[in-house]
Amino acid sequence: MSPEWMQGANSPYSKVLVANRGEIAVRVLQAAREAGLSSVAVYSQSDSSSLHVETADESVLLEGGGLDETYLNGSAIIEAARSTGADAIHPGYGFLSERADFASAVDAAGIRWIGPSAHAIETMGDKISARSLMIESGVPVIPGEQIPVEEGADHLGALASAAAKVGYPLLIKASAGGGGKGMRSVSVPKNLRSEFEAAAREASAAFGDGTVYIERLLKRARHVEIQVLCDTHGDAIHLNERDCSLQRRYQKVIEEAPSPAVSPATREAMGDAAVTAARSVGYVGAGTVEFLLASNGEFFFLEMNTRIQVEHPVTEMTTGIDLVQKQFEVAAGLPLGISQDEVTQNGHSIEARVYAEDPSRGFLPSVGELAVWRAPSGPGIRVDSGVREGDSVTIEFDPMLAKLVVHAPDRGSAIRRLDSALSSFVVLGVRTNIDFLRKALSHGAFRGGSIDTDFLDSTDPSELSGSEPDHHTLVAVAAAAQRLGIDRQQTPGTEALDDHTGHQGDPFRTLGRTFP
Amino acid sequence: MEWSVPDRQERYKASLQESEGSVSVASITRDGTEVNIPETAVEAEGRPGRVIVTVGGEAKLAHVTRTGDTWWVHMDGRAHEVLFHEQGGRSPSNEGSLGAPMPGTVLEVLAREGQRVREGQHLMTLEAMKMEHKILAPRPGEITKVHFSEGDRVDMGSSLVEIGD
Repeated sequence: MSPEWMQGANSPYSKVLVANRGEIAVRVLQAAREAGLSSVAVYSQSDSSSLHVETADESVLLEGGGLDETYLNGSAIIEAARSTGADAIHPGYGFLSERADFASAVDAAGIRWIGPSAHAIETMGDKISARSLMIESGVPVIPGEQIPVEEGADHLGALASAAAKVGYPLLIKASAGGGGKGMRSVSVPKNLRSEFEAAAREASAAFGDGTVYIERLLKRARHVEIQVLCDTHGDAIHLNERDCSLQRRYQKVIEEAPSPAVSPATREAMGDAAVTAARSVGYVGAGTVEFLLASNGEFFFLEMNTRIQVEHPVTEMTTGIDLVQKQFEVAAGLPLGISQDEVTQNGHSIEARVYAEDPSRGFLPSVGELAVWRAPSGPGIRVDSGVREGDSVTIEFDPMLAKLVVHAPDRGSAIRRLDSALSSFVVLGVRTNIDFLRKALSHGAFRGGSIDTDFLDSTDPSELSGSEPDHHTLVAVAAAAQRLGIDRQQTPGTEALDDHTGHQGDPFRTLGRTFP
Repeated sequence: MEWSVPDRQERYKASLQESEGSVSVASITRDGTEVNIPETAVEAEGRPGRVIVTVGGEAKLAHVTRTGDTWWVHMDGRAHEVLFHEQGGRSPSNEGSLGAPMPGTVLEVLAREGQRVREGQHLMTLEAMKMEHKILAPRPGEITKVHFSEGDRVDMGSSLVEIGD
């Protein structure tokens, strides 16, 4: 039985399988429960007692060891949907969410795919095809030129004229590339030839295709993205921007909405460009168009993410729109039910990603048991997490433990609220980046709203590490705790309080120790 | 029992006084030298893993827990680790038996059954995560049992060596 709100929809469904794990699986499974949909989780052996399995109505084990046999095993996941009678699949983010062939296979199996078409995923997933489509559609892209490398051809003339058009400093990128391979920056013309040859060599070796393109290197740019929502009836709107400029090696660390660097005019222009981009591929569902925003206010298309984003909550907090619920509605064929004019922006929201990693050791993932896990709560505080106290953190999966999201009337109070929430987030047993997040948040450049995407990588680490703690007090506390026998297995908290002192000290035990 | 903090060489010892569920710190030594600290007391707050720490008259809540040989302390909005080192790995629950302070591999065995050892004598070396850890005799006595030989894997807390009088 599909839920009541789906009545009248042209492609209703009633049971959603979530092809993911961790916090996003929990988020989507909770949304399914709220929406009156039955839910199915899939899990690997090592996730058998994880929170997302507990959150689902039923669950299916994906047998095997590596990711290819489990969360990346499209046919096993479709089989799990068949065997449980799930008639829709939500992919979350990562894993199979941007695999066009999986979207097609789900479709071919007669299962509703909660996402855009395979065509949209494929077009936007390829840098070159996305870029040429954007140029065709009039969406600004970073000035650049593609240069094919043919054996024996004299490409240096073409290279020099392309470089002159693009302007310096510039970036040479492998067309087929990713992960920084085949990527070179060139600041002056005399290095162009050698860097080009190195990039083409690297690209050939890594991707079997030496084609490169060059584009202008934007310095001091911010990462600003627009959330779009499109339905199957041809409606497309945007839900304003998110600013994700606080990054560490291209990994987002803190995201916020609205951006402190986006004016109403820029928001409108960027929003229009994002909607144009989405329409150009016939996009359906929730998606994100990423832009680089230059310091002069110019912005350029970076890429489109054809799935729900990690940082989607900051948009939900400021617009009041539940994006996962909207994904459910659109997948059922329902209209958006909201027009561009009805999209509001209320207050300010910031998200911090809490990772099991050790900032003092080059952000290496840390492992262990979450012996104590006390997430903060209070007005305007939201924690999206896939773990709970007692869970083990292993190196098998992404080390993100939780997203701590706050909402407050303005940016200053949102920063204060996030800092306060981080300070009361108690995670013991595994090292985390919580302290690092607090330092980044309190840095003058972030507070002033003037950071760019290089900020974390170019800032002296000492500015972002905590002051040396008072070792003597820490030793005193640990030694005393050990003497008091405070441990998880035998906490004194389970004993009755002493009537006279209000403390748990047992007079007989104390006497016993004093007079052995 | 000695204490240290991660990435630091200093070893600390704490001398404690306990009364009515509260522990006050009489003195702390760093590498054998007493250090000046403000008056510090710790009492159980009543709920699991929570203590009230009073430093120089100011009381605050801290969360504490133990994993292996690490005490985790969350205080003033930050999490910290303190490592304890049982000299010689003496296990309080099993008098005369030396427990492994960490899981690992036995690298060398220097003690043999029937041997008389003095306090602090090096009996065994464990290795875990590429770090070596010496097992020292907690007191003088005669070795009555050696439970492992070189290359054996040991779990944390396994009895390594037993010492009689």
